[in-house]
Amino acid sequence: MAQLNFVQAITHTLDFEMARDPRVVLLGEDVGKRGGVFLASQGLFDRYGPDRVIDTPLSEAAIVGAAVGMAAHGLRPVAEVQFSDYIYPGFDQLVSQAAKLRYRSGGQFFAPMVVRLPAGGGVKGGHHHSQNPETHFVHTPGLKVVYPSSPADAKGLLTTAIRDDDPVVFMEPKRLYRAFKEEVPDGEYAVPLGQARVRLEGDDVVLISYGGSVAETLMAAGALSEQGVSAHVLDLRSLLPWDKGAVLEAVARVGRVVLVSEAPKTAGFVSEIAATISEEILDTLLAPPARVTGFDTPYPYAQDRAYLPGVNRILRAVQGVLNY
Amino acid sequence: MIQETHLFKPFDKPLSLVTDAGVWNAPFELDLPDETLLNMYRDLVLSRLLDEQLGKLQRLGKTSFVAPNAGHEGAHVGVAYALRAGFDWLFPYYRDHGLVLALGVPLREVFGQTLATRADPNKGRQMPAHPGSGALNVFTAASPIASHLPPAVGAALSMKLRGTGQVAVATFGEGATSEGDFHAAMNFAGVQGAPIVFVCENNGYAISVALRKQSGSETIAAKAYAYGMPGYTVDGMDALACYYVMQDAVAHAREGRGPVLVELLVYRYGAHSSADDDSAYRPREEVAAWRRRDPLGRFRRFLEARGLWEEVQERGLRDELGRTLSAALAEAEAAGSVPTEWLFDDVYAEVPDTLLEQRESL
Repeated sequence: MAQLNFVQAITHTLDFEMARDPRVVLLGEDVGKRGGVFLASQGLFDRYGPDRVIDTPLSEAAIVGAAVGMAAHGLRPVAEVQFSDYIYPGFDQLVSQAAKLRYRSGGQFFAPMVVRLPAGGGVKGGHHHSQNPETHFVHTPGLKVVYPSSPADAKGLLTTAIRDDDPVVFMEPKRLYRAFKEEVPDGEYAVPLGQARVRLEGDDVVLISYGGSVAETLMAAGALSEQGVSAHVLDLRSLLPWDKGAVLEAVARVGRVVLVSEAPKTAGFVSEIAATISEEILDTLLAPPARVTGFDTPYPYAQDRAYLPGVNRILRAVQGVLNY
Repeated sequence: MIQETHLFKPFDKPLSLVTDAGVWNAPFELDLPDETLLNMYRDLVLSRLLDEQLGKLQRLGKTSFVAPNAGHEGAHVGVAYALRAGFDWLFPYYRDHGLVLALGVPLREVFGQTLATRADPNKGRQMPAHPGSGALNVFTAASPIASHLPPAVGAALSMKLRGTGQVAVATFGEGATSEGDFHAAMNFAGVQGAPIVFVCENNGYAISVALRKQSGSETIAAKAYAYGMPGYTVDGMDALACYYVMQDAVAHAREGRGPVLVELLVYRYGAHSSADDDSAYRPREEVAAWRRRDPLGRFRRFLEARGLWEEVQERGLRDELGRTLSAALAEAEAAGSVPTEWLFDDVYAEVPDTLLEQRESL
């Protein structure tokens, strides 16, 4: 066990998987000698050389698209796009090529690849360094989408993503990259996709979140605890597939749920969860599901923190469902 | 061969090796055995007859869509014969039936794809004219123009990194060169020296938009220069010119000397597709003029001049291919339509619970 922060856990996992499997290669802008703009691949160029840690031209279409072909030809590429905000030039490659290759070829070709996307706000990055585009990916059959919130989960889920036979969009909450350290297993450690993690047991209200917002959600749960309210906190960890069983079980037991996500509200991923809850366990609910999300605006610069679903907004929503 | 002659350089006028009259007119000796020449001609004719057959199927309502190939056959056969079938990888686009056939994709599978029957190894997932074969490394075609080019570069990089000795060949129309993916792919391939040959089947029209509205560049091949690779313009109605240039280009890539761009000047005799009417944008005289340069006629005259072909053989070949086509069509139809339940397979390696639920609701 080692104490690692989030980005160190990513580096450690890339190193571990590259040592284990010679098919694993990294590609992206500045991933080589620079070690990536967030230093996620620091030291790996020296260890594995330019054939396995590939600095690419400044082209997301080339990065994502080349990863598709590498994967189809037998490699296990891990592509880095510097900010999730810059995926759009490579979006067609994700949607039209990566996501549909297995399907359109009847399973003859497939793309076991990972696209790492530093995402989310809280870093004073304005709208082109802060967005949460996960809904685009979750709405694309053929992709898997992962958005962990802690260093240990980052290792466990990235390991699984790299070994998965389908394309995985691996989102990383960059404001948590160096926010805290935790124990990360040294050796083999894989967390299955589609399994939520119970971050806190509780009986009065279920708080569901993922990615960067898990941090604020846990802070809100701590504040609730001081008020004598026991919150059950679920960290979804992966969005496609998502852990319907854990969500429905917890919400049916408790009857009240607040869904927290920093993506824009309209048609955001948590809306899908709210719809599923309404469809399947409406009769167990004591209050309508509540959403606490980012706003339906471009991500702002000056109001960086106001945009995020912070502790106060979460607490207000909890009061709403408790007093319904 | 062509490299040795130094005849063929970027920006030269389109390279042709056989005159319209069918006379070998190259500064080097033809080195293909008669048997190969006869096979090439067979594949040219087969592609033309398939095109006619697919048109009939569309008019009969048996298939929804056809993308005519006629006029591209010389390019198709030339490219296919320069590849090591089943070893090299082909990234085709939607007007490449003749190419995949000449590479060895069975007619049965082409008809299966056209009719969406179980004879399609791609399981009927796409509209017609989107072939693919895992067995032959033919990367199943995708509709978004030029989107297969970055993946082709990725596969070529994998070949290079792992030293497999393979080459990737990607085909596309001249309209594709306007897409960002063309630039992304050419640029990355140039930087990495990837073993890939980009083959532009330039037929002068992207549906109705003529080349002059597509690019201000004198030729498509000229674009290669800026990416640090050789670019060649070839008479695409001359199957042997296509073959020899492609052979050199493929050797160049295979030897580790980096990517090549080859522009094959062809013409699409038919409309863009069964959903298009080309009379609105192309003068009939232009179509007729190109038809007079037909790759089949030229190749036939070439064979005749060498004493390899006579009318009686032509009739025999067409009869034989007609029977072959009918048999393959019957086989594809007999395979039966693709079952509805297959709708949910191959989205992922394993069918997830959500899709199992949705399958139940069919």
